[in-house]
Amino acid sequence: MDPSAINSPELLQFINQEKERAMINEMVAKLTTVCWDKCITSTPGSKFSSSEQSCLSNCARRYLDMSALIMKRFQNMQ
Amino acid sequence: MDSFSSPSSGSSSQFNSDVFKDQLKNQLAQAYAEEFLETLRAKCFDKCVTKPGSSLSGSESSCISRCMDRYVEATDKYNDFIVLS
Repeated sequence: MDPSAINSPELLQFINQEKERAMINEMVAKLTTVCWDKCITSTPGSKFSSSEQSCLSNCARRYLDMSALIMKRFQNMQ
Repeated sequence: MDSFSSPSSGSSSQFNSDVFKDQLKNQLAQAYAEEFLETLRAKCFDKCVTKPGSSLSGSESSCISRCMDRYVEATDKYNDFIVLS
């Protein structure tokens, strides 16, 4: 393998894009698993009920709020 | 990881960036699909097969397909939410 290929800006850009996509996928998967367990308390229906909808929407926002809060608290503990 | 080796076209060890990209994308997509399937199995078994019987009942089967649809729907929603925020 030609080692200079590894340093090609085009390839680096591609790898960074894929990295970013992987991070987004991971975060989406995390939100879905956590909020599914919190919000879908009965047998899944043929569509989400309005209370499930609003729970899912609140759940994601509050999870992100909490992440920020934990990050802040954690930094203060250092 | 031997599928990242050079394509069969050349005898040299020429690095082909397009082939590398395709292979990387395919492997990532496959890993993602496997993980997602495993999540679907865990979540829908949990919701739909509450008391395993001697076979999957009709209502369990239909619960499983609704569960899969809703889980995919929630994933798509959160994907939009993260990408657009």
